Amino acid sequence: MPANTLDPNKWVDKYSDYLFNYTIVRVNNREIANDLISETFLAALKSAKNFKGEASERTWLISILKRKIIDYYRKINSRKGQAEVKINYSDDYNEGEWLEEQVADQFDRTAEDEMENNELGLAILDCLDSINEKHAEIFKRKTIDGADTEAICNEFNITPSNLWVIIHRARTALAACLEKNWF
Amino acid sequence: MSKNRKLFFIDCSEAAECCDKSQYDEANFLEKAKLMLHLAFCKTCKKFSDRNSRLTHLMKEARLETCPEEKKKQWREEIKKEYAEERTSR
Repeated sequence: MPANTLDPNKWVDKYSDYLFNYTIVRVNNREIANDLISETFLAALKSAKNFKGEASERTWLISILKRKIIDYYRKINSRKGQAEVKINYSDDYNEGEWLEEQVADQFDRTAEDEMENNELGLAILDCLDSINEKHAEIFKRKTIDGADTEAICNEFNITPSNLWVIIHRARTALAACLEKNWF
Repeated sequence: MSKNRKLFFIDCSEAAECCDKSQYDEANFLEKAKLMLHLAFCKTCKKFSDRNSRLTHLMKEARLETCPEEKKKQWREEIKKEYAEERTSR
């Protein structure tokens, strides 16, 4: 049995913020980032049969997204007349399937992956993944979205003192995780 | 502890709460003053406070964003639909 399996119905909740921040630093435009992520999810569904379970779901989605980002830059370059987009099919059997739909999941980490790990934002999201899910959710609403204490309390049906306890636990866990993986 | 002492001297857990609040600019003047006083003699909390400020600084530096909820909703529906189709066509 493969080590990792796909669960597409959870992709948005689990990975969309990570994919979004990964994309935004590379294309610097929210609309385009959203389009690329949308395309990535659809391409991933189409190529789910190629997922061997060797990499984690997220690594595999990122590898598809990477190709989407490269394609995006190729396209805008070809519009300028500087480059051509060439689509290659690997063989007759697969004709009509786009390259990114044939992405294999890598089990080894390359130097590039290591570099990405050094991106602060992604390191933070990685750490948030490892702490209590509800605490991470509330921490994100408070710290990243900058939501009001009152609004969050209503949203999650908690009291302000509950909120501060959760924020405290999340911050302590996050700081410890970052100290291990970032500093 | 006399009433006056209680007003100015706080324990570590209260100091931690004041410290967290001040990371979001939500601590009032009295809370900030009590925190400063506590940090002056509590090394453990001073360490925690420095770490907490560093985290705030890192969060700002990372300039993280979350996707808008309506986008997420749209993606969820797209995936659900496509996934169902993929499974029936297999």
